[in-house]
Amino acid sequence: MANEKPDMTEAFSHPAAEAAMKTEGGARDWTGVLLHIHIAPQASYEMEELDEAVCVPGRGIEGDRYFLGSGTYSTRPDVREITLIEQEALDALARNDPPLQAGPIRLDPIDHRRNLTVRGVPLNHLVGRRFRVGEVILRGGRLNFPCKYLETLLDLPVFLPLYNRSGLNCGIERGGIIRPGDIIEMLD
Amino acid sequence: MGNRLVMKLRVADMRAETPDVLGLRLEHPRRPSLPAWSAGAHVDVHLPHGGIRQYSLCGDPEDLGHYQIAVKREHLGRGGSTWLHEHLRAGTELPVSAPRNHFRLDPQAGPHLLIAGGIGVTPIAAMARTLKRRGTAFRLHYCARDQAHAPLLADLEAVCGAELTTWLSADDRRLDPIAVLGAATGARLYVCGPRRLTDAVEQAALALGWPAERFHAERFTALEDADFRPEPFEAVIASSGARLQVPAERSLLSVLADNGIAPDSSCEIGVCGACECGYLEGEVVHRDVVLGPDDRATRLMTCVSRGKGTIILDL
Repeated sequence: MANEKPDMTEAFSHPAAEAAMKTEGGARDWTGVLLHIHIAPQASYEMEELDEAVCVPGRGIEGDRYFLGSGTYSTRPDVREITLIEQEALDALARNDPPLQAGPIRLDPIDHRRNLTVRGVPLNHLVGRRFRVGEVILRGGRLNFPCKYLETLLDLPVFLPLYNRSGLNCGIERGGIIRPGDIIEMLD
Repeated sequence: MGNRLVMKLRVADMRAETPDVLGLRLEHPRRPSLPAWSAGAHVDVHLPHGGIRQYSLCGDPEDLGHYQIAVKREHLGRGGSTWLHEHLRAGTELPVSAPRNHFRLDPQAGPHLLIAGGIGVTPIAAMARTLKRRGTAFRLHYCARDQAHAPLLADLEAVCGAELTTWLSADDRRLDPIAVLGAATGARLYVCGPRRLTDAVEQAALALGWPAERFHAERFTALEDADFRPEPFEAVIASSGARLQVPAERSLLSVLADNGIAPDSSCEIGVCGACECGYLEGEVVHRDVVLGPDDRATRLMTCVSRGKGTIILDL
């Protein structure tokens, strides 16, 4: 953990994004929607839901721990301006699909510690891709990876069931204001 | 030791339990149910200027609609309790961690002996509620100056009935640990209160040959050993091989933090358990009041405990 402001890696400079940008393909014909926006003022603090949020390129969401530099993270530079997760993944956990643990896990949008909860957005296809959330343009930098920190914080066995559907860490290419209900779609 | 989620809880109700103890009922502004806990657990209260204070939960573990804590104003303390007494109002939002427990009740049935002194009654009160519900035999001995300075007394009278014995020094009634322990041989013993009480009970337990696994104490301050002279030592980080020199006047925790290895930390006096760390080799001088004898073979608290010569940390 460190408490100084972390170095942000520009999303498309991340090795995962660089590799993906050289590869054609992936899901394109989709339209998704932003369901929830959450920020946490400090590491370990419970997330707070917002009706609207200001996204700032190179920084993150105003008021969030990564914007403020008060988050929990390794000290090496990374893509962490804004994080997304699919509501579909949370729905699967809630019906214990796949059955990797004792039973269903209810992981509410306030608990998963990603900033944006989205529906209808194939996040795993968006590494190295540009897409918009309302007026804001995001760049997919790398897949999020479930961390033991979250498991400890929530006291829920979420590590395994979130594997490969833990969401997407993005950079902000064009800032602006986002609100729940905003349309999400591919650019380019 | 993991992080605990920090929630901004609302002060739903507050009242003077005694002239210097503030009772607080804390609720979540949006969630009907708080994280579960068991008797003996405490929460970290985060103060606005960066300090953290631990308070035992003294309510009913079965009621997750709210947490109940009691804050004694410590005039000679570090300022946290004074701030809480002077600034909290009904409706104030206070950052509070999810509970953790270093003072757990033994799940076994069989008689329990609870001994509390003053504000040390807080975890003991939760234990009494739990034992009563379980139908486990117990006795609670509660030491205080007088009725007006005995937090939660009316509450405990209602919960415990005849199982409660009070020892009020104003009435010239003082607990005799040898007599009380002697009458409860075989019981699981839990004591919480000021050092002089926990020390006296511990000495009585030793004198009576009380089994160590049936003796549980929670102390307010870490071991105060006037003869302790910190010495410099070396800490080796197992994963990187880095060799860190810890001078006599500094803690292992602070040297780790300087080198970019920052364990969680909270009380920094060896009572909360946040900065626990494993070690692989070396002799450790344990100075915390959290770890039991078995844990001490492989774990240490980096805020107060030190090495002799060189120790290898499992980091």
